[in-house]
Amino acid sequence: MISIKNLHASIDGKEILKGINLEVKAGEVHAIMGPNGSGKSTLSSVLAGNEDYEITEGSVDFMGEDLLEYSTEERARMGVFLAFQYPIEIPGVSNMNFLRTAINETRESRGEEPIAAKDFLAMVKEKSALVELDNSLLKRYVNEGFSGGEKKRNEIFQMAMLEPKLAILDETDSGLDIDALKIVSHGVNTLKNQENATIVITHYQRLLDYIVPDFVHVLYKGKIVKSGTKELALELEEKGYDWIKEEVNA
Amino acid sequence: MSSTLTTNKVEGFVSHIAENNLAVWNELKSIRQSGLKAIKSLKFPTTRDEYWKYSRTTKITKNHYHFSQLDSIKGDLSKVKIEGLDTYEIVMVNGFFNAELSSLPKNDIIEIKSFEECTTEELTSYFSQNLDTITNFFSALNTAYFSEGIMIVAKGVCDKPVHVIHYSEGNNVISQPRNLFITEKNAELSIIKSSINQNTENFFYNSVNEFFIGENSHMNYYVIQNYEEGMNVISTNVATQEKNSNFSAYNYTLKGDWIRNNTNIFVKGENCESNLYGAYQPKGKQHIDNHTIMDHIMPNCESNEHYKGTVDDKATGVFNGKVFVRKDAQKINAFQSNNNILLSDDATMNSKPELEIYADDVKCSHGSTSGQLDEEAVFYLQSRGLSKESATALLIGAFLGEVVEKIKLPELKDKVLEMYGME
Ligand SMILES: Nc1ncnc2c1ncn2[C@@H]1O[C@H](COP(=O)(O)OP(=O)(O)O)[C@@H](O)[C@H]1O
Ligand SMILES: [Mg+2]
Repeated sequence: MISIKNLHASIDGKEILKGINLEVKAGEVHAIMGPNGSGKSTLSSVLAGNEDYEITEGSVDFMGEDLLEYSTEERARMGVFLAFQYPIEIPGVSNMNFLRTAINETRESRGEEPIAAKDFLAMVKEKSALVELDNSLLKRYVNEGFSGGEKKRNEIFQMAMLEPKLAILDETDSGLDIDALKIVSHGVNTLKNQENATIVITHYQRLLDYIVPDFVHVLYKGKIVKSGTKELALELEEKGYDWIKEEVNA
Repeated sequence: MSSTLTTNKVEGFVSHIAENNLAVWNELKSIRQSGLKAIKSLKFPTTRDEYWKYSRTTKITKNHYHFSQLDSIKGDLSKVKIEGLDTYEIVMVNGFFNAELSSLPKNDIIEIKSFEECTTEELTSYFSQNLDTITNFFSALNTAYFSEGIMIVAKGVCDKPVHVIHYSEGNNVISQPRNLFITEKNAELSIIKSSINQNTENFFYNSVNEFFIGENSHMNYYVIQNYEEGMNVISTNVATQEKNSNFSAYNYTLKGDWIRNNTNIFVKGENCESNLYGAYQPKGKQHIDNHTIMDHIMPNCESNEHYKGTVDDKATGVFNGKVFVRKDAQKINAFQSNNNILLSDDATMNSKPELEIYADDVKCSHGSTSGQLDEEAVFYLQSRGLSKESATALLIGAFLGEVVEKIKLPELKDKVLEMYGME
């Protein structure tokens, strides 16, 4: 589905990603772990098309297309979805209104008719139930006054509405209590199928008890320094990151 | 030497306008005379005058104009109709009242008549009160040569809003409508002012409206400015509030080549509420200037002012809001803010909120911001599949929408939201 090769990216002349290689196939779940500041959010932003970052080297193939050639909205319409680590508040823009626009512009780009109001509402009802997001929140402005957990559930709700091919979840678990974590994981697992793929970025192993990864990668100093299966996550949980840092710095 | 030259310029300008015979009847002879006298003592304003610092009027004063009464109009008035809202309609064509196109009330609650039908007493108690005639050349010009005037008096709670539609058409035409709006004791009235122009070139529209908000009465005044090319607009509104009254002035500018709005409120009674809201979004080379005065003369009053704008391309926006709290005006709550988003590097916004307080027991705040569109929010929306244009439009809508939401008539609110491209 996505094949990242030797990806280098910098911001303000400072190199953050220093040669990322990653291959994710349809139907797979990959976890990316790593200490703070290692470049996890940068990788997700770059894949989503944030123009603040400059790609200095490397390539990203997404379903046979050169992903880096496309704008943020084109990538979204191709099926790339990023659940933000820090979803921002957008006062004055209603959740429902913007999602309907998002869906309709995506459909339009595929030559499809706009979604019927009735179908949209039915979809909203179904998908918000999936992450137990109160319908009254959807009528409000995007994330404005939402609790941390509500913001994260709103991200997964949007993901459910947009039905992406590749979902990148950037620390969706951080700040969630165990109940919210279960709800979010249930949402993600329900949306999973053989045609889509998920990259779960997390700091803690905890989430991986609920969203079970096929592969686990450790990102450190802008590179994937170790890859393995879910046992690697358990090892990291137990031993922390220091041994990885030592290995790399040695 | 230069002063003579300026005077000659004014005289030349005025003599062209004055060539036309405007209605002069006894009651108004002296009023027109007073305007004329004021003009003669004034010069064209320049950017050296504080009041006109950011708005160059040579664009207007370099041309010669004539009045133009039309028998038929090319434009389509239905464009400004507000779906689902039943209104009385006053149509003014190039500044002259058009009875045929108007639809006036037939009841005792609201009275609409031309100045010619007014008594001397009515005119003298309302006309040119508090007007900035002495200092503002263009107000004086209107007083001397207003094309026609209508007086609207609400004597009770009006069942429908009054929609005043100003139609403009022609080249080098001057239109100087003059209207008086009065809510008598306990009355309630909403006024909507819309504009349409077609086939206009070098058109100079210079209106003056005066508002008298009587004791315990409510008046809402909504202005929708959506001008096609060829219009230079100066719109002056002056309101006087009596005790326990409520006045709100809303100004929504969609587009216009060159617009200057003066909205001044004088609160002359206790326990009043005054609101001033405005939104503007100049693009291209448009120039939109809003000047307001909020003058608290009496104690125990509240005022809220909020103007918001987005300035794009090479356009210019101007905001100047003066709040006065006079010596005897204790226990005043006066809030004012002006927020702007600059959408291009070539856009200019001149914002000057001013506060002059002479009383000591007051709560006032004022502030002004000018910033860029939130790029992070644009990225967030794009990452969900919205084009950059849609994302930007949505955010602009959210920004300006805050002051559009203040409109109390739901049908009008929907119309204005739609005009701004918001849903
Ligand atoms: N806008 C920016 N300007 C400069 N440096 C940045 C910016 N954003 C992130 N960084 C730096 O990039 C590195 C990686 O950050 P980030 O991708 O957020 O890490 P992670 O998500 O793994 O915690 C950090 O050192 C951070 O300070
Ligand atoms: Mg991060």
